[in-house]
Amino acid sequence: MLSFGLTVLLDGISYGMILYLISVGLTVTMGLMRVVNLAHGAFAMIGGYVAGFLTQRGCNFYLAALGAAAAAAAIGAATERTIYRPLYRKGELAQVLLTVGFVFVATGAVSEVFGAFPYPVVFPAYLTRPIDIGFREYPAYRLFLIASGAVIALLLWLILDNSLFGARLRAAVDNPRMARAVGINVSLLFTATFVVGCGLAGLGGALGSGILSLEPAYALKYVVLFLVVVIVGGEGSFEGSFVAAMALGVIDTLGKYFVAEAAPYLLYTAAFALLLWRPKGLVPPRSLT
Amino acid sequence: MGCLLAIITAAMVLLWAGRAPADVLKVGLLADFTGAFATWGPQFQMGVEAYQALHGKTVKGPDDKPHEIQFIYRDTASQGPDKARQLAQELVLRDHVKFLCGLDLSPHAMALADISKEAKVPVVIMNAATSSITRMSPYFVRVSQTVPQDVAPLGPWAVAHGINRVYTIVSDYAPGYDAEAYLTKTFKAAGGTIVGSGRTPQQETNFSAYMERVLEANPDALYMFQPAGSPSVAFVRAYVERGLKAAGIKLLGGGETQELFLPNFTDDIIGTVTSFHYTETNTRPANLELRQQVKKMSGDRAVPDIATLAAWDGTRLIEDAVAALGADADGLKYIDFMKGKKFDSPRGPVEIDPVERDIIQNVYIRQVEKGNGTLVNIDIDEVKMVKDPWKVDNPPKSN
Repeated sequence: MLSFGLTVLLDGISYGMILYLISVGLTVTMGLMRVVNLAHGAFAMIGGYVAGFLTQRGCNFYLAALGAAAAAAAIGAATERTIYRPLYRKGELAQVLLTVGFVFVATGAVSEVFGAFPYPVVFPAYLTRPIDIGFREYPAYRLFLIASGAVIALLLWLILDNSLFGARLRAAVDNPRMARAVGINVSLLFTATFVVGCGLAGLGGALGSGILSLEPAYALKYVVLFLVVVIVGGEGSFEGSFVAAMALGVIDTLGKYFVAEAAPYLLYTAAFALLLWRPKGLVPPRSLT
Repeated sequence: MGCLLAIITAAMVLLWAGRAPADVLKVGLLADFTGAFATWGPQFQMGVEAYQALHGKTVKGPDDKPHEIQFIYRDTASQGPDKARQLAQELVLRDHVKFLCGLDLSPHAMALADISKEAKVPVVIMNAATSSITRMSPYFVRVSQTVPQDVAPLGPWAVAHGINRVYTIVSDYAPGYDAEAYLTKTFKAAGGTIVGSGRTPQQETNFSAYMERVLEANPDALYMFQPAGSPSVAFVRAYVERGLKAAGIKLLGGGETQELFLPNFTDDIIGTVTSFHYTETNTRPANLELRQQVKKMSGDRAVPDIATLAAWDGTRLIEDAVAALGADADGLKYIDFMKGKKFDSPRGPVEIDPVERDIIQNVYIRQVEKGNGTLVNIDIDEVKMVKDPWKVDNPPKSN
């Protein structure tokens, strides 16, 4: 029983880590910069395809994952300057329309270049096998997800809460006019943050492709999950995204195990219940409280 | 009055412009070329073009008059039955097609039942695998397969090969239920025990919890029915990652291991046993011909799948029917010609059921193996001339 509980917990946490890795970038764009970025899944997808392309040609998996992050970040930078910037002051409808359009373009482009079939990222052999963790054999890949998610969560927390960059970013989000007045280059700061968010999505897309499989429909199929994580966590709250991703990952896994028939709805029911309980999210950002 | 005249004139001009020259016979092919099911359309088209490239586009009718069989492709764009119905109407009214064909998804085929009866247009179904479809219109002929037909032979085979306890996991949609029902039925009838069953959301890719349950039940084999693409790839990955393969639980399935999809899997899929109506590695002359032509047209990596196969056979049926009856026969005459027709398909010998207008064919038990560095299916057994078991269980009501 204990062993079973631990297994489900590990399954839930590893799934949650993937949701977190990808959603954390959306926390930046949607939570901090207030852009309803439905195209976030497209950046994760682009990252995943880049990693797939590289690893299928014999490139080292970890280098390919970095390449994925870099490519998603580069495309993020280009689109921020050209597509997103004019949107910052527009209403949400304009943002939704344009970013959904971007999703369609990305889906079409990926399908044209890589085909409509699923596109595999080649993981190192030791990640595709179960390993002995004392009480049972457990997939190494899932442990790897938990470890990488934890490292990134820690890094982000250190940067945002304890660095000058983090302090400036929080200031710029809370009161952009005041931040400008004290000499912070808000525009550059937003671009940098957006680019980092896209890079994280790309990284998450590559690392998580063992669970969220790559295919042209990826960008549209999973964006709902990412949105749920950000909203349930509390818009703009990194701690919130983390807690929400873990909670939803565990709830989803438990649901599939015990009430498989209800599994497709359970995640959304849980999100609904959590939001009824805490409308501002599980851990609302300090500026909102 | 002048207005009415103008409309009549315009209508006549349109009608005239839309009418094909006497020697061209048009066939409308409906399939998804874009959207979520975009892989079907091009595979159908490849089958039609491969057949016509080798056996000619033009057939001589009974009066020695040549007829060019011209296919018109229409994209149902993964938009469902309404789109299929609308495009079929346009093909019948504007393009004056003599046959309709294609139809990847069952709802698309069902949506054409009324049109086919009203317009008396034969419909050659090249996939749409729900058993009951061919009963919906006397103008329907199917050259593909039904889910129960592919699945049913696996139950007795498993028991005969020492598999006595099976766990089933199917995708949560109608074909998944059919697969579950027919595997369970035939497996139990042969003396096997179903130790557990699960249904997974259609686009599921996170199978860890389901695999845990299978591990606990510790069956001899796990049966899967998953849509091609991400779900089946993720399913096999979870099966290996969770140690089911290492625990000696055999993996059984169906269409998941089509050669077209095998490059998406890792070598972990080796050893999987599936029952299916087409094994791409078979060396029958018609299959070698089809494979060679597909590679010639679409490159060395191109492989025919069941859509290509059914389009090849469907094109053949249409061309043979026109050769026998000419271009102006009544729709039911074409259907009568196809009924009971036996021929050598690339999959093996097939027959069109003279009563049900559905295909009767061998079902092959195959195993995934590695040959020449690539993953392929190798036949290990076959069940001859299987009739759709659903139809056997549900005989037509006599009126």
